[in-house]
Amino acid sequence: MNETAEVLRDFLLAFADDEHLMGQQHTEWIGVTPFLEEDLAFSSIGQDELGHAVLLYEIVCELDGVAPTDAAIDALAYSRGAEAYRSSAFTEYGTTDWAEALIRHWVYDMVEDYRWQLVSESTHPALASAAVRAQREEVYHRRHAAALMDSLIATPARPELERGLVVVLTLLPSLFAPVAGEDLLLAEGVISRSLATTAPDVITHIAEMFGEAELGQVPADGRTIRSPHFGPLMVRMREVLDLDTEAVW
Amino acid sequence: MSAEVLSTAQETEVLRAIALVDDPEYPGVSIVDLGLLEHVDVRNGVATIGLIPTFSGCPALAMIADDVAGAVRAVDGITTVVVTWLTSPAWSPARLSENGRTALATEFTVAVQIGSSTPTCPLCSGPTVEQSMFGPSRCRAVHRCESCRETVEVMRG
Repeated sequence: MNETAEVLRDFLLAFADDEHLMGQQHTEWIGVTPFLEEDLAFSSIGQDELGHAVLLYEIVCELDGVAPTDAAIDALAYSRGAEAYRSSAFTEYGTTDWAEALIRHWVYDMVEDYRWQLVSESTHPALASAAVRAQREEVYHRRHAAALMDSLIATPARPELERGLVVVLTLLPSLFAPVAGEDLLLAEGVISRSLATTAPDVITHIAEMFGEAELGQVPADGRTIRSPHFGPLMVRMREVLDLDTEAVW
Repeated sequence: MSAEVLSTAQETEVLRAIALVDDPEYPGVSIVDLGLLEHVDVRNGVATIGLIPTFSGCPALAMIADDVAGAVRAVDGITTVVVTWLTSPAWSPARLSENGRTALATEFTVAVQIGSSTPTCPLCSGPTVEQSMFGPSRCRAVHRCESCRETVEVMRG
């Protein structure tokens, strides 16, 4: 694998891992959201994010020269060592706080839209067509998050949302963190810009809703370091799988 | 008989077999009528079938692919079946056939939304209003008919 392919692999894993973990976090709200419509929404949105993760893991399989079977995708999704993941603290963070979950959904889907835009005209054709499919589905995610925010922001729920925002803003820099060597992808037109360059726009959108918002320093660790939340999340994700790792589904 | 003619006749048989595969969510409604079939190619007994999913995270994909493979394998002269989920084009409700729309409306009280048009009630043709953007599956929203008050599921893009 040449150097560009290796960076692309890292870039794809970062995107796919975030989608996978975000999807997982959303689906953990099934049955416990405050009302039925949210149950349906979070499970549907989570299902989409898992589907997007598969689209991206499939491209990783292609780079690895491996057939993109369910087993190969599951191996990427569940069976790498923690050091091989490229997820962000933003998506690794586990919460049972509804306000945090709602704000995270709102911010994540805002950033995800920019993330797909970076690759919508990618010189890597599979990535560009994945973007077309995902962006069509993401419209609903943003509409859902915006509708909830609009209906809650001027109600007594506002302090709860503000409290959630504090936590989410602490995590947000990690979501913009690039993988090592990202410049190579820019040079070859695989991505049109770095996700980190969209941060000011995201912060502006947040500030429009809440009056003010600030972003901390974007980490420069190339997404090689996992947060303390990663381990427990992985245990939850693998809970059924670990009951019988040889089971055929 | 040339190989080409044989292949075309077989393709017709294969298409007929696929048209008998129902969507797992809608027994009696063919996946072809739902617009999931993109292409069929038969060469030397090898059938290659390209399907497109309604949504990328649809949990029924493996089941549908298995059903299609099974149906095509039963066609005379087919030795190998390759079913692929394509990443493009993207599915949209505009791919539904007239048959498909009628069956969804009469059998399942499901309306279809094309673009941003207002779906009409399958029972009384009244206008519907969205109640929940997300419904029992990812490709369906929940609406209510303004006229007869019936709850209507709406298949949408």
